[in-house]
Amino acid sequence: MILSLIVFLPLAGALLVLFAGGSGDRPDREGLVKTLALVVSLVTFAATLVLWWMFDPTNADYQFVERHAWMPMFGIQYFVGVDGISLFLIVLTGFLTPLALLSSWDSVHKGVKMFAFFMLALESSMLGVFVAIDLFLFYMFWDFVLIPMYFLIGIWGYDRRVYAAVKFILYTMAGSVLMLIAIIGLAWAYDAMTGAPSFSLIDLQKLTLSWPMERWFFLAFALAFLIKVPLFPFHTWLPDAHVEAPTAGSVILAGVMLKMGTYGLVRFAFPLFPSAAMHYAPWIAAFAVIGIIYGALVAMVQPDLKKLVAYSSVSHLGFVVLGLCAMNAQGLQGSIYQMLNHGVSTGGLFMIVGMLSDRRHTRLISEFGGLKAVMPRFVAAFLLVTLSSIALPGMNGFVGEFLILLGGFLWSPKFAAIAATGVILSAVYMLWMFQRVNYGEVTNSKNTSLPDLLPREWALMVPTIAIAILMGVVPNVFLRPMEPAVKKTIERVTGRSFATAHAAPASRPLASGQKQVATTAQETATGRQPRANSQQPTAKANSHE
Amino acid sequence: MSNYAALIPIAIVALSAIAAMLAEAFRQRDERMPIYGLGLIGLGGAAIASGVLWNSDAKSLEVIRSDNFALFINIVLCIVGILTMLMSNDVIEREQIPSGEYYALTLFAICGMMMMAAATDLLVIFVALEVLSLAVYVLTGIRRQSAAGAEAAFKYFLLGGFSSAFFLYGVAFAYALSGSTRIEAIGTALSAQPAGTPPSTIALLAVGLMAVGFAFKVSAVPFHMWTPDAYEGAPTIVTAFMSTGVKAAAFAAFARVFLSPLEPLQAHWIPVLSVIAAVTMIVGTVVGVVQTNVKRMLAYSSIAHAGYLLLGIISANRDGKASLLFYLLAYAVTNIGALGIVALLGTAQEQHDELRDFAGLWRSRPALAGLMTIFLLSLGGIPPTAGFIGKWYIFSAAVQEGHYWLAIIGVLTSVISVFFYLRIVVMMYMTEGSEIPRPRVPAAAMAALALAVAAVFYLGILPTRVIDLALNSISTIF
Repeated sequence: MILSLIVFLPLAGALLVLFAGGSGDRPDREGLVKTLALVVSLVTFAATLVLWWMFDPTNADYQFVERHAWMPMFGIQYFVGVDGISLFLIVLTGFLTPLALLSSWDSVHKGVKMFAFFMLALESSMLGVFVAIDLFLFYMFWDFVLIPMYFLIGIWGYDRRVYAAVKFILYTMAGSVLMLIAIIGLAWAYDAMTGAPSFSLIDLQKLTLSWPMERWFFLAFALAFLIKVPLFPFHTWLPDAHVEAPTAGSVILAGVMLKMGTYGLVRFAFPLFPSAAMHYAPWIAAFAVIGIIYGALVAMVQPDLKKLVAYSSVSHLGFVVLGLCAMNAQGLQGSIYQMLNHGVSTGGLFMIVGMLSDRRHTRLISEFGGLKAVMPRFVAAFLLVTLSSIALPGMNGFVGEFLILLGGFLWSPKFAAIAATGVILSAVYMLWMFQRVNYGEVTNSKNTSLPDLLPREWALMVPTIAIAILMGVVPNVFLRPMEPAVKKTIERVTGRSFATAHAAPASRPLASGQKQVATTAQETATGRQPRANSQQPTAKANSHE
Repeated sequence: MSNYAALIPIAIVALSAIAAMLAEAFRQRDERMPIYGLGLIGLGGAAIASGVLWNSDAKSLEVIRSDNFALFINIVLCIVGILTMLMSNDVIEREQIPSGEYYALTLFAICGMMMMAAATDLLVIFVALEVLSLAVYVLTGIRRQSAAGAEAAFKYFLLGGFSSAFFLYGVAFAYALSGSTRIEAIGTALSAQPAGTPPSTIALLAVGLMAVGFAFKVSAVPFHMWTPDAYEGAPTIVTAFMSTGVKAAAFAAFARVFLSPLEPLQAHWIPVLSVIAAVTMIVGTVVGVVQTNVKRMLAYSSIAHAGYLLLGIISANRDGKASLLFYLLAYAVTNIGALGIVALLGTAQEQHDELRDFAGLWRSRPALAGLMTIFLLSLGGIPPTAGFIGKWYIFSAAVQEGHYWLAIIGVLTSVISVFFYLRIVVMMYMTEGSEIPRPRVPAAAMAALALAVAAVFYLGILPTRVIDLALNSISTIF
């Protein structure tokens, strides 16, 4: 019951807000609506913490499973569950939504009721994405997520908001619909094998698909997820959406929605189509590495703070995808860890940019300078979030990037080596930006009397920074519950391609495909070795401080 | 008596149509008379009668068969009729449409539609087609002072006449082939041919000409030319009615003729219909993108939806047929809702159906804007609405038969269509409003919209029961 409660609590809250807000635009109910929305999101967060507390960290299977027949004639079920991979993404969603609501507390004044409604509806659908195990259910949540976000960008965004909103929805939807066809194809393939269709992930993993089918279905899934991530070169919707979205929208978009893409890869695309995944992993990783460098270089030259953070997301998410492609314990754990880190630190950065933009109504770096003298506490918070984002040892980002690079190196040293330069580049663009905004003389007279952190902003920064440090210092708290599910996923993905390499290499139509399978089989052998002591790198991370 | 059982739903609607005519005749000048109440009673009665006849598979006069397929369509048509009637009262008064004629014609049209869905003889299908078409031609041009309405009615009449002639010509060939116009007899004659021999030219001509006739009625490309003009020129509430009702009846007869007697020729008509379906989906959405009039936009969307519906016939399997029925219902409640809102926003002077007229609707009429958004999202096929389940089901049937390309074209054109549906949403929510007077929404119309939106969510979230009914409906005949 707890999962359904978590998923539908925000939706119930959204409907409550809709009725409590009265008809039309009622400025006198603004406070009530905001408080109500915040309370609902906080209760949801508390429920996600309870979920974490009740979660059995030694179990690799789905927990808190709920299964109800929904459309029995097609084998469609209401089937939800949580494992170590999705657990923290659920907690992250619960954590970021109240912060996002708080971050737009003072800047949203028109249609507050609808704003709160869409935020809570968005939270429900994102949580639904992370708990769904039935692919039909998953797709419904996945597609619906776009609608509230579309409105959040389009109504409460900045100047080019309509363009950004439409681009966002069309771009991501165009990717997803092909996945719908692939999902349908999978269900009928299951029907052909067993006599009854099914959309359950657990059932569909038992399928043996022909190579062309597996390949096309994988590509359809991967396209949907990689656009969402977004992987270079599918990233062009992201800067627009991020820059034009209101602060709350950016926080959720960067913090949670991008992770839906990487989560989809590790939960659905890779385990459903292991051979195709291993076949295409080097290609995806290559684009990820290009994205790491490209995102960092483009971020470096951005005059706009929000755009800079947006491109840094492209770079950071490149790391996550690289770790996934490595498909070994370090890489995968690092990837999932980095998803959480990116949510916290980039969410934090967007909040910071939002604070600056609330005060000055501009986000141009050149408009600022010397803020340290004016608002020292704000700059301190800014510094900590920046350091978390550039992965300073002791902060959360370090653990994730280190694990990813380690996993990447075990898999393919050359990818890891190129990706590692991204770490340096991220320090370059973030610190340079930090320096231009905060140090030096106050050059712009408008900056001389900016207020320092307000109580509401303290409430945003303290939890963000606290969790960033916590995740940097005691990563095991987070890594341990992931481990069983991560191992299971790796066994599923690499184990099967290992078997097919021996069983049916001749059935592969592509010579290069054969070669690939052979090399991945080797990788599996090397990749499996260090899994026994996968806690090792985190121990290193600790000792590094 | 039981010999006439299959006629009962049709007879009830016909009686209520006659009652509406008489009521108009006895109406004092300037007397306000809720004639739509008669229509509601008749349609409600027909729906109940259809429910009672469920599973009875009654046949009357050897040419009308109330199998579950026809009864399902009956119920869809009753829903279409009831929603239209509920929204009509104030709208037709505002547009100065003579109410007696309006309601009587609507009800006679529904009669024709029901007959068309239940007919098992090609000539009866033709007669039913003419009954509904004549009523709808008049409804299209019922605003006598409107030039656009007259033009629309004339175009619709002319092209509709052509299509009827094509259909009749096809019937003639079918008769030449089998010596009968009964559907079963034609089916027997066609399947009597030894397997492997190519079908005769006459058989192919019969199939081709009938396909043209049906393609006109369901507005499939390249026979869609009348649709945008007729939909734009007709009073909006009539557009809502004919875009859903005519489509449901035409597809019902299309499916009945093509999936049972003409099934032996499947290999010949499936490729042709596949091309037509693909072109229909593409043209409907791509041309829809550039429209600035909402009614015209929804006319092109209706063309695109005809393309999706054709996938159900092309798939020709159990799920294809059931998804066709489900989609017709989902499309009916959704499109009537969307066009109903457009109709309700019109005033006596202006129709207010241009895209820019929707600017700022969120500010002046938040509830209508919200409902319109839900209907548009359902037309676009976004969960958790009826439109999503409908599209998923119909594409699922297509994929099952290996028609991957049609399904892919289907989903991609859906994305394009979302673009133009969102143009309306952008206007309503993200553009500052012009000061257009917004008329009050009467309670009956609000009730209709509430029913429609409830149906959209019911079919979108808990479709199991209706899908079961649809599966049950097709099992009796094909």
